[in-house]
Amino acid sequence: MKSNNPIKLKKEVLGLNRRNQEYVRPFNSQSAKAIADNKIYTKRVLKKELIQTPEVYKLIRTKKQLEFLDWDSLPKSFVIKPNAGTGGNGIIVFYGKKKGKYEWIRPNGTVMTQRDIILHIESILEGRFSMGFGNDIAIIEERIKTDPLLKQYSYKGVPDVRIICFNLVPIMAMLRLPTKRSNGTANLHAGAICTGIDIGTGITTYSMHMKPNSLISDTYEVIDSTLDLKENKPLSGIQIPQWNTLLEIALKCQKVTGLGYVGVDIALDTDKGPVVFEVNARPGLGIQVANQAGLRWRLEKVKDVKIKGIKHGIRVAKSLFGGEVEESIEAISGRKVLNIVERIYVYDKKADRSKLEKYKDSKRELVKAYMDTGVLTSRIDSKLANRIGYFNDHKQFEKYGIPKKFESLKDAQDFIDKNEKEIIKNSSIKRLAKIVENGEIKVRPVFDIPIKIEDQIKITEFISTEISDISQPVIIGKTDLTGYLIDTTNTF
Amino acid sequence: MNNDLVAFTQWIVDHGVSQTVLELLISVCIVSTIVSIARYIVGSKTYGIYAPIILAIAYSYTGLKYGLAITFVVILTSLLSYSVLRRVRMHYITRIAANYTILSMVLVLFFVIVDTFGLGLENMSNIPPLAFICIATLSDFFIRQYIKKSIKTSVVTLLGTILVAIAGWFVITRDIISNYILNNLWIIPLLTLFNILLGTFKGLRIKDLFRFRFTTREDEK
Repeated sequence: MKSNNPIKLKKEVLGLNRRNQEYVRPFNSQSAKAIADNKIYTKRVLKKELIQTPEVYKLIRTKKQLEFLDWDSLPKSFVIKPNAGTGGNGIIVFYGKKKGKYEWIRPNGTVMTQRDIILHIESILEGRFSMGFGNDIAIIEERIKTDPLLKQYSYKGVPDVRIICFNLVPIMAMLRLPTKRSNGTANLHAGAICTGIDIGTGITTYSMHMKPNSLISDTYEVIDSTLDLKENKPLSGIQIPQWNTLLEIALKCQKVTGLGYVGVDIALDTDKGPVVFEVNARPGLGIQVANQAGLRWRLEKVKDVKIKGIKHGIRVAKSLFGGEVEESIEAISGRKVLNIVERIYVYDKKADRSKLEKYKDSKRELVKAYMDTGVLTSRIDSKLANRIGYFNDHKQFEKYGIPKKFESLKDAQDFIDKNEKEIIKNSSIKRLAKIVENGEIKVRPVFDIPIKIEDQIKITEFISTEISDISQPVIIGKTDLTGYLIDTTNTF
Repeated sequence: MNNDLVAFTQWIVDHGVSQTVLELLISVCIVSTIVSIARYIVGSKTYGIYAPIILAIAYSYTGLKYGLAITFVVILTSLLSYSVLRRVRMHYITRIAANYTILSMVLVLFFVIVDTFGLGLENMSNIPPLAFICIATLSDFFIRQYIKKSIKTSVVTLLGTILVAIAGWFVITRDIISNYILNNLWIIPLLTLFNILLGTFKGLRIKDLFRFRFTTREDEK
């Protein structure tokens, strides 16, 4: 993967300085940050909007409460986290209990006794994992039963989806998958895998994780498949379930917390559906590496847009930032994705072919083209061909009084063999072609016409004929579709 | 103009501010500005702003060689003692306190070893005790980060802190620089202004350039 030049990076990537100066400080008020920095408070606020969060089993505020904790009332699996913790520090996931013992099993297989857990909770209460220097509260809450689809990509812990929202628009998203190294947590710094998600479709794109043995912090390694599983699976192309609902929930969280710039972590529970883990007032910037796209460009794009509501915000995001999956497929397969109907430019006969790429004002016409793998050679409507300068060539072709139809393909071929040289002489007709149109066998002229499709200019061989659907006067045939994938879901 | 400023410095010195205090305060201004640059332009992590300032000033008293040797002993001892102590189930603060007691003993032992074997550190006994203690407090920062985050994070931050402190030591021990600033105290408000401007800097840190060098793939739609 090639690196970018610093100037391009500056324009597109959001750095820590700008995140804090331009987005966190102006758009996240102290009161809104107070909600995000306090998990109990966040749960309370989200509950009012009927947004689901993990169920709290116990809240431990003092050592006295810890002393009287009813251990038998705790389920086999649960999570302990500090109320004001940062960066996943102090979170311990237990996914099983040893029979008849007060010992719980962690995702990496290690066992913690009741005494170990008491010490950990005491550390939480003393503020060891928390922002600032004050005391903290320990939360014992339910462990999410991960959706079966995402479960197969994760090493024991709970994967979640982080969506960064700004100005009520989902800007960027990533799937975070726990690994053996991250020990059940989905935190990037702990070693979880982060996979970019196409905002438009909810399909995963690129993946990365923090380099395990790098001394320089925050260095990433791009990966293709899961880690630590018995059978590692490719990470791109996963359709995140309930994608639109997740986007809606993220925006609802933004609305209810009042955070202008926010990262919302949502997990998918088998029974409960989407459950919000956390609302983050200073979401990390690693999401840009996972998506291989800069946040700055996207944030600036929506800064001044007036968003009318959640649905509008999602529509804006999908149209502005969607479509990464196509490029991802391109990156994986080496092929570009074309819609079944694409807008293409058809260049005028008089346009200087050597300068087509240089001069945007070359005479050309924007038309809709239909991708048809059922025909071999591409076709152009003769009226369009006339408009772009092939009128005289058609005239010359008609002059020879070619039969309107032929009885058989052999007859047509015989006619071509006999008359082609004469007919194409002194004209732009490249050759003659026999085609079957509406059940009739015809002989038609073929031209080499430059077109611009998907930002590529190519000289394409077109059979000029009558095309019945005048709204799509160009048909791109199989010969010219080599190297492309056709997406049949998008039409104009 | 220059003479006026020298007179101004003299006036300050004549009015109850000793030259040593003035030099120390200038050092604080310089090192804190270096820390700002290191954080917001380079992107290096340090244990806050206090640790590199105090370390740089301590190094200026101990000399870099002695300073680094003490730092090495402090960190190594803290690391070993914490690694042993973490196996014992005990409370957080008691763990840190126990670490300090072990550190004190090891430092005494270190002095004795240096006195006996030399180790190229023959002038160790001439080091001002306060500078010595200042370096020892680094242990707290190191262990705190180790406990809260991880050994890797703490080591990376420690290296950042030491590098910034060395840069600070280098600048404040250059006589030409300290004398110039002492005679041109107008530079101090200029440093204030520089820090204010740096505080509003939104550009990418050098570390960001490195961190996100593979990031942009498209987005020129």
